[in-house]
Amino acid sequence: MIHAEIAGGAVSTPVHRLDARAKILGLIGFVVIVVTTPPEAVWAFVLYAVVLAFVAGLARLSPVTLAKRALVVVPFVIMVAVFLPFFHQDGDPVFSLGGARVTDQGLLVLWNVLAKALLGVLSMVVLGLTTTFSELVTGFERLHTPKVLVLTVSFMHRYGYLFLEESRRMQRAMASRDFRARWLGNVPTLGRMLGSLFLRSYSRGERVYVAMVSRGYEGSIRLEPDGAFGWTEALFVGSVLGTALAVRVATAWSA
Amino acid sequence: MDDSAESAKAAGRAPTQGPPPALEIRGLVFAYPDGTRVLEGIDLVIRQGESVAVIGPNGAGKSTLLLHLNGILRGSGSVTVFGLPVEPKNLREVRRRVGVVFQDPEDQLFLTSVAQDVAFGPSNMGLDRDDIAERVAGALAAVGMEGSGERSSHHLSFGQKKRIAVATVLSMRPDVLVLDEPTSNLDPKSRRRLIDILSGLPVTKIVVTHDMTVAYELCERTVILDQGRIVADGLTE
Repeated sequence: MIHAEIAGGAVSTPVHRLDARAKILGLIGFVVIVVTTPPEAVWAFVLYAVVLAFVAGLARLSPVTLAKRALVVVPFVIMVAVFLPFFHQDGDPVFSLGGARVTDQGLLVLWNVLAKALLGVLSMVVLGLTTTFSELVTGFERLHTPKVLVLTVSFMHRYGYLFLEESRRMQRAMASRDFRARWLGNVPTLGRMLGSLFLRSYSRGERVYVAMVSRGYEGSIRLEPDGAFGWTEALFVGSVLGTALAVRVATAWSA
Repeated sequence: MDDSAESAKAAGRAPTQGPPPALEIRGLVFAYPDGTRVLEGIDLVIRQGESVAVIGPNGAGKSTLLLHLNGILRGSGSVTVFGLPVEPKNLREVRRRVGVVFQDPEDQLFLTSVAQDVAFGPSNMGLDRDDIAERVAGALAAVGMEGSGERSSHHLSFGQKKRIAVATVLSMRPDVLVLDEPTSNLDPKSRRRLIDILSGLPVTKIVVTHDMTVAYELCERTVILDQGRIVADGLTE
């Protein structure tokens, strides 16, 4: 089995039990506030990190788990960000690397991107680790995200794994008949494999649709909502967004 | 609900006395758009409460026939369900009354949790939340999968997926249960379990199968389909 459930099923903390809508609103709102903060206010980012660490602590997520998950995205951010200072040449030069100059303005841009990306990624990691996929999907649906989007994501999640398993089976079948992937010589074979995977997925789609229509599908899906947006949810959204907003306002005042 | 009114109305329309048959097929012919003729004139009447096995070689037209029972495919000739002709204006009612369980449970379980999949049919019927919750619980209990509503179907064993697929249709409380190869790819134990569950369900059953044990234990009557025709129809022996 390829798939490991996004949220560990065994743990249940107040954060895990929150209605998904609260976590989506709270954490995405938090990211928006972080992104709009001017990079000069370094202290503000420290405070944001404290807020996020507090939520993660409530959810009993270990820093190691968070770091591991964040590692999936962070290297790409660093790879892009590291070149940014070389394209921002205004401001006072701090040091030069060969012929290229690095200025204080350039470093500020680097810091801006890194800090915001890191906080953003970590917020989404916290959301993902405390919410199951099915809760996320219903949460987004109940927040009135367009249904087409919600369903597309939900179907991708459901059938993505089947697709992977199917392509693995195909690879095994080819390997069993002594297929060795050599460069270029096997491009036609790989092309045919992709084509046949496409056809299989296409007919799968058709069968799923027939199974849906057979149960009275007429063009709209109502996912069954469970859980309510109660006081705990309001408290969570209020305190996360309230604190972040207070920090954000303070940066505007100090500037 | 309005079942009694519905069947009384249907009975009034049927030419014969007594309750209308669960299924009545007259002169059904079907060809795919490329001209391949699959059904060459099927006549079949299935009474309410009967259990019928449909057997026949691959390509005999079994699955095609099955898709006519709830109006997914429409050939020439007539198909009536409880006196109700299978035609566009009746599709909603027909699909509620005829529950089809397809061969591959992966096609039937497409949502992110078991409960959502089982609730899919009832919510299309426009039922309210409490009613849906009650039906989901009832259907899961009927297939021995109580308490797995929050699981993701991806994590179930194949046998469990098959049983959940049956539950997704049971939650609509159909009068006819149509099963396409219910025991294919099941290990003996899961197969035994599924047969026991199915034989305990008090509905009309139409079972397309290659599994003679299923035909023998589940159905008193067997219909043999070959090259788009019914070539034999009688007691299962």
